[in-house]
Amino acid sequence: MRRVSIVQGENAIVAEPEVLISTLLGSCVAACLYDPVAKLGGMNHFLLGEPGADHRVGMNEMSRYGLHAMELLINGMMARGAMRSRLRAHLYGGGNIVSGLGSIGSSNAAFARRFMADEGIEVAHSDLGGTSARKVEFLAYDGRSRCSRVADRVPELPPIPVSLPSSVGELELF
Amino acid sequence: MPAAAAIKVMVVDDQTSMRAMIRRALQDLGFKDVRDKPGAIEALESIKSDRVHLVISDFNMPDMDGLQFLEAVRKDPVIGKTVFIMLTGSADKEIVQKAAALGVNNYVVKPFAPAALKEKIERVFGELT
Repeated sequence: MRRVSIVQGENAIVAEPEVLISTLLGSCVAACLYDPVAKLGGMNHFLLGEPGADHRVGMNEMSRYGLHAMELLINGMMARGAMRSRLRAHLYGGGNIVSGLGSIGSSNAAFARRFMADEGIEVAHSDLGGTSARKVEFLAYDGRSRCSRVADRVPELPPIPVSLPSSVGELELF
Repeated sequence: MPAAAAIKVMVVDDQTSMRAMIRRALQDLGFKDVRDKPGAIEALESIKSDRVHLVISDFNMPDMDGLQFLEAVRKDPVIGKTVFIMLTGSADKEIVQKAAALGVNNYVVKPFAPAALKEKIERVFGELT
């Protein structure tokens, strides 16, 4: 069994059996998507946005990070033969485990649920919210996932700042 | 200065949530006539029969991608001069170059803030009121 570990801001797409995608989650959310016909799946790991000084995150800010993370995963899967209409999801994470961050975990979880509803993607399983960190493992080829609670706090990496367009200064066409 | 409310916009993206976010951003900027389609083929048919001033289109779409869509718009004798802004992923420099060769008016790299979208639109239309 080969293992592919991802961290915040990353995703992995697998179309081979015996390959496990894994991640550790705190307030972040991981969406495990799979296409049972194309026999491929992928997982992402995202935090919607950084809370401001008031520990709140604006909806627009949150949405654009989350939407981008989901789009990268879905487009990557479609490029390898998945069909959007066949996708199914397992959702994990969104715990409110870090004091001082308010309900960012709940916001992440709500975004994930809303996204799947808006896109018409069936959520076959979800384990969201709560106060525990989670370890998630996903056999993408089979569309099987499992989640275990982690007793200790997950040392989540600080949010990866979304880079400014790489084109600025390099490819200024207009 | 053009009034945003007078500019008709077509938003094209295969992701429902992304279309909704762009619609909200445009409406916040004062645009009143914002239509959207999940695919370039439907969008092309729509803007041929009911013209718009501005197309904002994703690149990565099934059936007809953003470059094919742009090319089809530019080749059309009626809608060929419609302003076309492409949405791309951050690693799509080659696509931006191809889009520039095909006559794209501007591009926006995802994920983008509403202010970035406004800036790119204003570079084409001038400052919006």
